[in-house]
Amino acid sequence: MTRSMSRQKSRHFSRRSVLGLLGAGIAGTALAGLPRRAAAAGGQLNIYSWPDYFSTDDLAAYTAKSGVTPAITTYNANEILFAKLNSPAGAGFDIVVPSSGWISQLAGKNLLQPLDHSRIDFGALDPSLLNRDYDPGNKYSIPKDWGVLGVVYDPDAVGGEIKTWQDFFDAGAKPGASGKIRLTKAPSETVGPALWISGKDWNKATVADIQGTRDFLTGFAKHVKTFSSFDPQALASGAIVLAQANQAAARGALLQNPKLKWVVPGPKSEIWVDSYAIPSSAQNLDQAYDFLNFFLSADIQVKETEYLGYPAAIAGLKGKLSADTKLPDMIFGGSGVDFNALTSYIVNPDTVAAYQDVQNAVQAAAGG
Amino acid sequence: MSRTRLAFRQPAGIGFGAWYLLAVAFLFAPIATSVIYSFNVGSLGKQTSLFTGWTLHWYAMAWRDLTLRRAVETSVVASFWSALLATLLGSALGFTMVRHPVRRVRSLLSGLTYLLLIVPETVTGVSLLLFYAVTRVPLSLATLIAGITPLAIAVTALIVRAGVLTLDRRYEEASADLGANRWQTLRFVILPHLAPAVGAGALMAYVFSFDNLVVSTFLTTPRVNTLPVYLFGSLQYGPAPTVYAAAAAIMFFTLALIGLAALLYRLAARRDLQARYQ
Amino acid sequence: MRGVTPTARTPARQRIAVPTSDALLAGIPAAWLFVFFVAPLAFTVFFSFGHSTFGGIAPGFTFDNYRAALSGFYAQSFLRTLRFAFAGSALCLLAAFPTAYFIARHAGRWRAAALALVLVPYFTSFLIRVMSWQILLARGSAVETLLNFLHLHSGPLDVLDTQTAVFIGIVYAYLPIAIVPLYVVLARIPATLVEASRDLGASPWQTFLFLTLPLARPGVATAALLTAVPMLGELVVPTLLGGDKGVLIGRAISSQYIESQNYALGSAMAVLVMIAVGVVVALLARLTRGFMEVAP
Repeated sequence: MTRSMSRQKSRHFSRRSVLGLLGAGIAGTALAGLPRRAAAAGGQLNIYSWPDYFSTDDLAAYTAKSGVTPAITTYNANEILFAKLNSPAGAGFDIVVPSSGWISQLAGKNLLQPLDHSRIDFGALDPSLLNRDYDPGNKYSIPKDWGVLGVVYDPDAVGGEIKTWQDFFDAGAKPGASGKIRLTKAPSETVGPALWISGKDWNKATVADIQGTRDFLTGFAKHVKTFSSFDPQALASGAIVLAQANQAAARGALLQNPKLKWVVPGPKSEIWVDSYAIPSSAQNLDQAYDFLNFFLSADIQVKETEYLGYPAAIAGLKGKLSADTKLPDMIFGGSGVDFNALTSYIVNPDTVAAYQDVQNAVQAAAGG
Repeated sequence: MSRTRLAFRQPAGIGFGAWYLLAVAFLFAPIATSVIYSFNVGSLGKQTSLFTGWTLHWYAMAWRDLTLRRAVETSVVASFWSALLATLLGSALGFTMVRHPVRRVRSLLSGLTYLLLIVPETVTGVSLLLFYAVTRVPLSLATLIAGITPLAIAVTALIVRAGVLTLDRRYEEASADLGANRWQTLRFVILPHLAPAVGAGALMAYVFSFDNLVVSTFLTTPRVNTLPVYLFGSLQYGPAPTVYAAAAAIMFFTLALIGLAALLYRLAARRDLQARYQ
Repeated sequence: MRGVTPTARTPARQRIAVPTSDALLAGIPAAWLFVFFVAPLAFTVFFSFGHSTFGGIAPGFTFDNYRAALSGFYAQSFLRTLRFAFAGSALCLLAAFPTAYFIARHAGRWRAAALALVLVPYFTSFLIRVMSWQILLARGSAVETLLNFLHLHSGPLDVLDTQTAVFIGIVYAYLPIAIVPLYVVLARIPATLVEASRDLGASPWQTFLFLTLPLARPGVATAALLTAVPMLGELVVPTLLGGDKGVLIGRAISSQYIESQNYALGSAMAVLVMIAVGVVVALLARLTRGFMEVAP
């Protein structure tokens, strides 16, 4: 074996040359794949957002109009966004899309720059979504889309209607629903309802209040099947009969199984608003504002709503949706939602760890 | 060759064969599912476990989705370089873990390799992010590659190590006695024997690097995003079948490439054999 | 310099001539790993003694983080994870061994193709494959239909979001990484040895127990390590297939770093896990030391 290898003469088409060609070919492709210099006419725009959060058509339309192709990088949790912006690695983003809860934290650490309101057209936006408690005066953020926390359930399996969070917890303990429940994995959405039924406010709760919900919630946890991301099919097939969800996800379930019911339970529930914000270190401000104005225009917002299933923040959106939209009310959280009973969670460093501890305990105690 | 047939006739051979086929079916079940569901119409633009109809729409969407395409490109390029580095460094590490003359050094190298496996990826990711922050090194594709290489190195090293442990030392001693220096021994005696292990190690290094999620999450930049990071984020709001389409396309493309390479290799091997016996 | 290969009988005290090739082959990877792995890791150790600020660390020296990390909840989580990794690794090896054995010893000419077939799935993104398991294990799926048809199961399939699903996913994920080292080692056992054993009157089972298995030890040990240790840090499969229940230690540490922004506590937990696992691995390595070299 060694003799033959050392005697091997190079030929046009020997094993060695094939390997060499292959290696060169792959290396060439790999080198070609290295980041190209952005030679775009209109400049660059770097966006850090959730995956698939802008419609491909609208992005293409934006590029056609402005000559700028936005480079979108993605994250899978607000905390990652925070960690990135909080380190030098976060430099270079021009637009980010934090959830409402994190805006005051990001702003507090000077990671966001105040928006120049003169450069943004607020005309099309819904006033009831502006100037909310998580960002008074919209100093740092503009609403992109929003959602509410509610409950979707099978009334037969659960044995009745659900109107309040207390009903939710009671229903979960019943044999028809036990072991077929989905809770979210956001600590605020797990602990929140427990705080609300005892009349507390999740933004004002102390660490003691939060820890006080632990026993109740871990007791309930043994009825819970999953904390995974919402699967409409699971509700349609009956694997899950009672689930916390936002309205867009629930809409998917209701479409597949009309028997299901949706409710935004009282006395309170959550409204979250994913928002555009501009980091302090943003370089391409012109392109950023240009992009924002494009995406905040009424027609684009309607298209985005239809693409994402989440309602964008423009006024009169309901009337503007196309006639063949299925279950249009559900996009807005169903009919009869009392928006005054909705509150936004605001991340508080003093209580974050306590929330997460309870969440971990609940997930560890979950049955099945 | 007759021995192979003999082996198959034995009940053990059939039993093992059946197990093998079961294993292959098990391994391919989700692949087949992902390919089939890449054609799924889905519900409200999202993937569901219910198959609602056939469409090619998602393949078109995957092509037009620049964010997804860029993520795929970056993943492929980064994994290639990481696999290359891991193969070179990992094979060297795997070899010296067993063959280095000084025992302390061998223990140290082994410890280092095991440490790579033991440390949770989140820890590596955060510490790298902070390390680059403190050393003021800007994040880039290079830092991403450097960040995902260590785990790949460990995998390659351990596979090569398993191969080295089956090497008979006497071949090396004989080679030295016959006058070869260490480099020649490595090249002409050891490497050919280790070729399967190194090859397998390279493949595993590529796969591990491509699928790296946690460390990559911390090392992405405005221009550097990887497919697993994109995918994991899409789970929050529900993935569209687009990502399934992209994954299926990548798989077919990679397989076609490998198949072509294997074919060329066999043709060349046949040519070599013919040449030698003429 | 002439290559020198000292034998095992070289006294430890004697000055050993290290060939430059070996020094380089050891030194370069070690240097790379030191810069890109060990040095950043030193940060982790440093942080574990600090005070956590939200998303940062205030340097200091305290054992508070270690005290919290050793608390009941996390200790239970770690034990749970150990059991999980042990079971998962054992299942994986049980599934991998016959497969590797077939490829190495019964596939003959088709050996390379047989191995390639097993590795081909790994050219699809891992996350997509796990997400596909979600589809496969859901109610009303093809698997349910098949199992009902084969009378292996009746009624709806409720495997998703259970521990069973997690084990299916884990074995699936780690199967190739277990097959490869087993194959590498099994393939190098010469057929002549097996034949000799049969000729001398041993039954196939005896040959397997007393010849093949001992010779396969390095492969088994490698496979066990390559599966069990990463399983300790497993995050993705329990989240996607297990309903994210039963917080394993990888998830617990991750949640400290990410959700709670408590780098200090996360670091302390990580250091403890590393020490614990390091001790176990070192013990195992010591125990199998004499048996590892199996050149026939």
